[in-house]
Amino acid sequence: MKKVALLIIFVLILATSLVKNSTKKIEDKIFILNESIRSLKVEFGDVMLEYNFLSSPNKLIQYQSQYFEKDLIKIDIMRIKEISEKNNIIELTDFIKK
Amino acid sequence: MNKKHSKIFLEEYENKFLYKKSKTNLNIEFNRIAFIFFVFLVISIIFSIQLLHLGSLKKENIVKPLITKKNYRADIIDKNGNYLAKSVSSIDIGISPIEVIDKKRLLINLKWIFPNKNYKEIKKKLNKNKFFKFEKNISELNYEKIMSLGDKGIRSEEKLTRIYPQKNLFSHIIGQIDDDNNGISGVEKSFDKELKTSKDSVRLTVDADIQFLIREELLRFQRIFRAKGSAAILMDVNNGSVISMISLPDFDLNERKTITNVDFINRATKGVYEFGSVFKTFTVAAGFNENLIEPNTEYLNLKKKIECNGFKIEEYNDKTPTDLTVEEILIRSGNIGSVRIGQKIGVEKFKSFLKTIGVLGTIDFDIKEVGKPHLINWGKCKLVTASYGHGITTTLLQIAKGYSIVTNGGYDIRPTIIQKKLIEKNSRERVLNKGVSDKMNKILRKVVTNKEGTAGLANVEGYEVGGKTGTAQISKNGKYTRDKVNTFAAIFPSQKPRYILVVMMDEPKTNSEYIYHYRDDTQPTKGTPFNTAGWTSVEVVGKIIERVGPILATKYIQN
Repeated sequence: MKKVALLIIFVLILATSLVKNSTKKIEDKIFILNESIRSLKVEFGDVMLEYNFLSSPNKLIQYQSQYFEKDLIKIDIMRIKEISEKNNIIELTDFIKK
Repeated sequence: MNKKHSKIFLEEYENKFLYKKSKTNLNIEFNRIAFIFFVFLVISIIFSIQLLHLGSLKKENIVKPLITKKNYRADIIDKNGNYLAKSVSSIDIGISPIEVIDKKRLLINLKWIFPNKNYKEIKKKLNKNKFFKFEKNISELNYEKIMSLGDKGIRSEEKLTRIYPQKNLFSHIIGQIDDDNNGISGVEKSFDKELKTSKDSVRLTVDADIQFLIREELLRFQRIFRAKGSAAILMDVNNGSVISMISLPDFDLNERKTITNVDFINRATKGVYEFGSVFKTFTVAAGFNENLIEPNTEYLNLKKKIECNGFKIEEYNDKTPTDLTVEEILIRSGNIGSVRIGQKIGVEKFKSFLKTIGVLGTIDFDIKEVGKPHLINWGKCKLVTASYGHGITTTLLQIAKGYSIVTNGGYDIRPTIIQKKLIEKNSRERVLNKGVSDKMNKILRKVVTNKEGTAGLANVEGYEVGGKTGTAQISKNGKYTRDKVNTFAAIFPSQKPRYILVVMMDEPKTNSEYIYHYRDDTQPTKGTPFNTAGWTSVEVVGKIIERVGPILATKYIQN
């Protein structure tokens, strides 16, 4: 009986130390990943900021007048069509039903 | 011989103290090894319990530590995830010469990292033994290089820089922060705590593309009609989400100016105005809500002029017939007819209706820059003037809210610019009787389509625009002046409204050169004939819907 108890204690100690050791390793990995995500997030934020600025409507209109000769035209909602597919047949219908 | 016999008695020593084994006493027989194992067992059990506890914790149960960094401020993004405000941390480097270990060596190293600096000046500063700023906003790479020098004299200071990539576009909504990272206006002020602690960006309901298009049109017409200022609000009538909110003039947030000029007031939320005939919609809706009138209820022998406490009330147009139905009163924007409807409703019911739709009192909104409508001393004469929109003030945002409730089926809404605060369509509370909106929407549509209506210029094909105009004289020092506030509140599509677009022009003037292209077969005409909403704000709304309408109809179709 004594031996069994001692064995259980020993196994428990061993298991605890093994689990603790493996969680420590996972924790380290999580920390490293978090740090890399953090720096990537910062980088992504900066790139997005640049993208938002360069693709803002104001900038796009500026580029349009700078690089293209034709003016932008307003879309007439009456000319917008809807595409639908039924039995392999593509159908075009008016977006606004008259 | 006296023999003495000596006897030795051997007595067994008997100790009276007897150790008895007892269940209650500890076994004094001390087993060191067992004890150590026992301690280990206890420790391992504690560890195991802790591990089991950590393993069973759900992600959401783990309390997120609050970010309390002084230099932290969450970003603000629009409905589509575009940055409206972004924090960028920058690092400044300073040098404290007294603490520098080797000045010569430091100078050589600095030259290597920052080759383009004036080192004669820096050498002088180093010799003065006084702290100085060496470089501002350095890159992360240079920061690492300079810190790897390991000199005690090098000091780094992290600073927060707030960038507004949309410049003027959202100036009145976003607001500004001070040098200590405290919000001083707009969302920056009202959500200061959340912005300082939230890990995620604060998402607004506004759309940067639509905001740009509306602002462009508003700017263009502000120049055409030489208005002192103007404002526009585009809102979803069903949930109160503000898609666009503009007040002109505006300012570039990146310039961080202190604005003291009152012309820069937020005309959409803070400015309190008399809006004139746009209020007639509320008078008629109140009548419908109380079941006192119907669209075809007739008002006969309407006078051309009436007087109340010396205040003269007359029709704007002399040709307005004396016999009108309720529908015709709204289409023709009849003053006397509206007064008669108002009188039929009575002070208490009319006041209660205006309160229900949120036109009276200060509105609960997401930014603190909201106007407080002037207090009204209700009486018979006040009812008379208020029923056609005079002597009663409110904000443009409250007009938008009122029109939304009147046209969305009678459901209460709370205008908001914060995505998180949107109320689900199903959890709305009905505050007006069923059928009021149907009647109102039909009449508002006729204001735009009917020949006698005042808003024909906004009849953009495909959108079923409905609405009501309002031209009000501005009162200065207690007297009405010739300056006007021209407003048009439009809803579309009028069969089942989704959006409200309210445009207000502050002190517009007529333009003799502007060419009006009518939306029917009528030939274009040159010059603004009258300084009324029908010739100014309605034209602006028409042009705005032409531009943003296709986006709203297609992009938001799934929502």
